[in-house]
This record gives sequence, C-alpha cells and structure tokens, in this order.
Amino acid sequence: MNNNLSLAPDFESAFKKYRTGMQIILEGAQAETGQTPKEVVWTKNKARLYHYEPVAKDAYRVPLLLVYALINRPYVLDLMPGNSLVEFLVGRGFDVYMLDWGTPGDEDKHLAFDNYVLDYMPQAIRKMLRHAHAEEYTLMGYCMGGTMTAMYAALFPERPLRNLMLLTAPIDFTPDVMGLFGLWTSEKYLNPDRIVEAFGNVPGDLIDTGNRLVKPVTNYVGSYVTMWDRIMQGKSMDTWLAMNKWVNDGVPFPGAAFRQWIREFYQQNKLVKGEIKLRGRRVDLSHITSPLLSIAGKKDHICTLPQAEAIMHLAGSKDKEFYVLDAGHVGLLTGADARKGLWPKVESWLAGRSK
Amino acid sequence: MPEDNKKQEPADPMEVWEHWYETTYDAWKNSIDGSKESFVDPYGLYHSWLKGIGEAQEQFKAGAAGLMDPQEAWKHWFEVTTDVWKKATEQGADPVGLTTQWLEMMEEARAKLPAGGVVPADPFTFLKQWYDATSETWSKVVGDMIGTEKFMDMASQFLESYASFTRTFNRASEAYFSRLQLPTRSDIARVAELIINLEEKVDRLDNEFEDFEDRYMQMTTGEATSGLSGRLERVESNVAAFPAAVESLEKRLERVESKLDKLLEALEKPGSEEPAKAVRRAPATHSRAQQPKAPVRKQRAAQQARVEVES
Repeated sequence: MNNNLSLAPDFESAFKKYRTGMQIILEGAQAETGQTPKEVVWTKNKARLYHYEPVAKDAYRVPLLLVYALINRPYVLDLMPGNSLVEFLVGRGFDVYMLDWGTPGDEDKHLAFDNYVLDYMPQAIRKMLRHAHAEEYTLMGYCMGGTMTAMYAALFPERPLRNLMLLTAPIDFTPDVMGLFGLWTSEKYLNPDRIVEAFGNVPGDLIDTGNRLVKPVTNYVGSYVTMWDRIMQGKSMDTWLAMNKWVNDGVPFPGAAFRQWIREFYQQNKLVKGEIKLRGRRVDLSHITSPLLSIAGKKDHICTLPQAEAIMHLAGSKDKEFYVLDAGHVGLLTGADARKGLWPKVESWLAGRSK
Repeated sequence: MPEDNKKQEPADPMEVWEHWYETTYDAWKNSIDGSKESFVDPYGLYHSWLKGIGEAQEQFKAGAAGLMDPQEAWKHWFEVTTDVWKKATEQGADPVGLTTQWLEMMEEARAKLPAGGVVPADPFTFLKQWYDATSETWSKVVGDMIGTEKFMDMASQFLESYASFTRTFNRASEAYFSRLQLPTRSDIARVAELIINLEEKVDRLDNEFEDFEDRYMQMTTGEATSGLSGRLERVESNVAAFPAAVESLEKRLERVESKLDKLLEALEKPGSEEPAKAVRRAPATHSRAQQPKAPVRKQRAAQQARVEVES
C-alpha cells in the first residue's frame, strides 16, 4: 500500500463509489421487493390477502396461508427473485396466500389481538378456502404472526386446520429466557399505557430502535461498514439494499395491541399459563391438535430458543417437531443459509401433509 | 459556566466567544494541573484534542516535505485522544466508567491496527479495518452497559419524558388547529373509522350472500336430485311393468285370434259360405245396398253371441 497521502489514481471510480454510498445514506436504500406475481383476493381495512400465481403444473391440494408480524413488512418472505421463500414454495407447487396486515392509521389504535385473531384471520381463511376451492389449509406464522396463529389454532380446533408451522414464534415470555428484552420490558422500566397515551399507535421507529439495541454496534455501525466495504470492492448491493430497505420499513404498532403485547405477554407471561383471553375466550394451547412444526434460530436474540420451544410442551398435537437452525431472526428466512436450511425443511415437511 | 462570565456583559460576540474559550481552557488546565479551582468543564476536554489535531494540521500544511506518514498521523491522533481521557480518569472524572472502557478499546485498537501491516490512507479501508479491530470490544462494552439497571433507569426516564412531551405537544397541536377550524388528525381518524365500520357491514353482507348462495346451491341440488330420483323410480316401475303388460297383451291377442279363428271356422261351415265370404271381404264401410242380408246377419249375430259367451 502506498503511504503517500496523494489521492488514488482512479479518482473517478472512487468518487462514483463514494457518491453511491452517500446516496444510500441520505436517500435510504431503494430496492424492488415482493416481486413474485400475486393478486389481491380480499381486503379488510388495511389488511390484504394476496394469492401468488401458481406456476407448477401439479399443485398441492392444501393451500398455505402466511401470517406475518404486525410490526414488519411481510415482503421479507418475498425479498427478491432468487431470495424468496414465497417464490420457492410457489415453484414447488404449493398454493400460497399471504395476509398483509398493512399500515395502521390513527383510527386503528384500538385494534387488539382480539380483533386480529377473532375477526381478521377467520375472515381471511374463509376467503382463502373459497378462492382455493379447498376444505383444509395450512397456517404458517412468523414471529408475532406465529404467536397469533398459535392462538387462532387453539381457539378454533374445530376448523379444518390441516398443518401448523411456527417460525421463530415467541410463546414463553419468562424474563430469564428473553435476554435483554426481559429487562427492558419489565414493569419497573416500561409502562405501555404511557406510551400508548402519547403516541396512539407506537411509531415503527421506536419499535425498530428497541430491536436494534439488542445488537447496537452491529445494527447501527456494522451494517454500514459492510455497505462501504461492498461498494468499494464492487460487489453486488442488491441483497444489502433489499434487507436494509426492509429493516428501515417498520410499521406502527396499534396501541391496544402494543399494550396487550407488553403487558399480557412480556410482563405477565399469560400465554404459557393459559390466562390469555380474547374477547372472553381463553386461549389454551393444548387445544392445538394439528401437525405442528416449530422452527427457531440458535443466534436469534429476538425470539430465543426456549421461547420458541415452549410450544412443544403445550400443544396437544401428536405429530409435532421442533427444528433448530444455526441462524438469526431474519437470517433464518433469507440468504444462502436459508436456501440450504429452512426452505428444504419447510418443503419436505409440508409436502407429505398437503396432498 | 464559570461565574466570571455572568458578571461581564460584552457587546461584541467575538469577545464573548474568546472569553468563553479562554475561561474554559483555563478551567480545564487548572483542573489537570491540580489547581485549587475545581471546574469540570466537559467542553474543555476537547480542547487538548483539538490542539493536537491543529498541530497535525499545521504539519500537513507545511508542504510535501512535511507530509506526515499516515501511520504517524494515526499514531499521533491516538495519543492525543487517549492522553486527554487518561488524565480525565486519573482525576476521577469517570462516574459511569465509560471513559475507562473507552480507553481500553482505544488501546486495543491501537495494538491491532498496526499489527495488520501498513495503516491505509484510504479512509474507507481504514474504517473497515478499524471496525474489524474494535467491534468485538465495542460490542461487549455497549452490551454490558445497556444490560444494566443504571442504563435502564436513564432510558426509562428518557422514554417517560419523551412520551410526556409528545402527549403535551399533540394535545396542544390538536387544540390549536381546532381553533383555526382546520381538520386535525383525530377528525380524519374519525371519518376513517366510519368508513371502516361501513366496510365491516359490507363484509357481513358479502358473507351472508355467500352463505345464501351456498345454501341455495345445496338446496337446489338436493331438490332436483330427490325429484329426479322420484321420477326415475316411477319410470323404472313403469318400465318394469312393461314386460307384464306386453305379456298380457300377447295373451289377449292370442285369445282374440283364437276367437276370430273360431268365427271363421263357424262361418266356413257348410250353409254359411256367403256369410263366410262376406267376413273374408275387407271390412269397409258398407252402404245399405251392400249390407249383408238379414238371415246371414242373424246367423252371424248368433255366432257372435256364442263366441262372447265362450270367452
């Protein structure tokens, strides 16, 4: 390396790279995401039920509904061509639907899990079955969406739920197993009522800050160091841009749901105790009897292994499996490791149970 | 701020700035030199660092011959930055313990960076190397800090204050815009709620129509099927009766034929040739002139009566 402080010979190339990086920092990551062809089958308020166009000739009979968390955009499941769980499943012949909760407005601050589990989900499933001309279905929930699908499955065991899949779904909120979230969400330090009174819907930035503070150096500095490194070395930026766009695309958390999530789940851990009540109906996870696959990541700091594994001891299913991947909360879904780990596992487990 | 500044009322802003600068510099210098005055001016901490950078800058401006080797430049920067903090910790100005940890990280970085070879002049490459060298320690330091109750106390208080401020600001904004007769967020939210409720009703109607359609289709299919089934049964029973009917007709036909045969035999007997011929003729409508004669009619009638009696 030349120790001279004079500028690099290829000044123009260096300037272009510098400009690219600064553009990303100033304007934010721009990327085309969610590109697998789909159509809107049904809408309710801000929620949309998408149906992905089938491409395989021989399709599985049982449709699959993806349910994501309330606080993130679901297009992480369909990040970009070649890096999309949805594209993979559609290509393998599964009839895939996705429930996108949308972006809540001020008028939605009263929406709680009661509304989402007892109103939105049953309606979406009804429309899906009608559209697919099917009598049974598979539910796949991710993160908070997994918690919601578990509650739905427990409340409606008589419905024709064929299979249940939970991806990094937190069930047990015992402080000891939650890591930093156990401290941050304790009653001593976090009063959800004050936040809801002030904001109505909790801003996505606030939620995002809380998630990023689990690994602040990596999230606030490391990601941009990686960005500059990739730019300077001329590597492809597509995946980085798509992921960065998603990470910064947080959705406001409806106030009533946020209050419920913090108080009844994180602070009082009512779900594992069977004390959660949705519109007076007690959620008893032992009523889940459908085949169950719960997947978790070893390096996941948002939903730890014990949090996800708790469902195995509570569900009443005879056919149930807990599968662990060496990945983080989001790395489990996308990227090269996901193509080798999660995707084939989902396909193999579902294939035999979707005919 | 030192009390000296409060007593003076300079007119020239530049004088104010210079006075502030000199005061803070003196305060910091006195603190480091162990003077009786014990000011702790946080801004003064950066003065020595800036001074060191200024010296480096002067050397840079001196020309090519005076250009500092990048490694020397970073080394000088390290020394300037760490010396100031070291002195601060020695004086006890480290209540949270962050300064000590920061120094540890800087020392570790200083050891790791030159160990990799020549320090690059390219800032981005240096940034990457810096991050690789320090991120582990830095993560540990920050992780230990954010996992403490002391940090949570501060964060919780900050969140409470921020929430209180936001609530007050929102209420004030709502009141202000309401007075100006301008629509506020809550007004728009109320309208949106009405639309959502309307959509809910439409959804319920849609569901009812679907249920009705399903029920109707089920009923229509059932009725039609049961109706068809009944008709089919009737047809089957009718068809099943066909062989018996045909057989019965056959038998009757045979009887009729046998009667006719007997009739013909009777007519063909001697003395009854004319009536027999008349019977053999085609039974067209007869005119009065062609009607058989009375004796033959009587004989035929008698024979017919006999046939009827026999049958």
